[in-house]
Amino acid sequence: MDGIIGEYKEPTDAGPRVTLVFYPGAFPVKWNQCSVAADFFAEYFADVGEGGLTEEAERRDFVGSVGYVLNELIENAVKFCAGGTVVIDAGVDAGEFVVVVSNQIATAAVDGLRVKFAELLDGDPAELLMQRVEENAANPELTTSGLGFLTMLSDYKARLGWRFDPAPGNPDNALLKTTARLQVKSS
Amino acid sequence: MTDTTTRPSGSDTDIKGPGYRVWFDAPSRTVHFEGVLRLSTSEYKPIEDMLDRVLLASPSLGLRMTELQFLNSSGINLLYKFAIAARKKGDTEITVHGSSTIPWQGKSLPNLKKFLPTIVIQVD
Repeated sequence: MDGIIGEYKEPTDAGPRVTLVFYPGAFPVKWNQCSVAADFFAEYFADVGEGGLTEEAERRDFVGSVGYVLNELIENAVKFCAGGTVVIDAGVDAGEFVVVVSNQIATAAVDGLRVKFAELLDGDPAELLMQRVEENAANPELTTSGLGFLTMLSDYKARLGWRFDPAPGNPDNALLKTTARLQVKSS
Repeated sequence: MTDTTTRPSGSDTDIKGPGYRVWFDAPSRTVHFEGVLRLSTSEYKPIEDMLDRVLLASPSLGLRMTELQFLNSSGINLLYKFAIAARKKGDTEITVHGSSTIPWQGKSLPNLKKFLPTIVIQVD
């Protein structure tokens, strides 16, 4: 089951770092709290990373990009969480924002996700995005848009990676860690 | 007690929820998007239905995004699907008003042209 797809990187203690853990088993995460959590990380790292972003336009772009990407990752983790915790671990190091969002999924879902993630990284994200939206328009009964990772890759130039591990203490589940990286100052 | 915190309220041309409002101004034939829209895919249904209705009633339409600070990928899906619906309908004049100070708009609005080549994107 173990394995890595894409570029997997975890935050380090070399720069500012924050970890947030939700325990949805006891207290389910409400949908709008994904947004609140994402905005907290975006605002926090805009001010602490390497002296903070002082240029108004740079700060706005950073908060917008990190807020978007994190909100998508947290929404995914909350939506697909099959037990256990949802962990958000983020840091800024050497001009790069790095986040890992972890949640448990059913072991039976691993193989399908592995194929899906590999396809996302193999194709041209702009083209895959076009195809997916046309499919969504043709199939109004679909309940997920499938655009989260595609917009991160295509519109935000995020670098994505995934890692599968056994879930501690639950043989029916796997631990999925999703990582995204963004340049702090987009060029 | 029923939890109504994420339920939209208002009429079928004025949809309000916590932190957002989407409403149709009939005289200017403009749909205004305001606040933060990070709903789940199914929660976008009332907005999707409203866009379908106004497009059917009026092929000339403005979408004002200048007060929409955030939009998640499910909301972007809704916008792109609307562009496809307008392309399929044909003979539409759709103008999107965006803001250069709202980051998601610079990144994701230009894609609308791929789905609806005749759409006009005006950035203030």
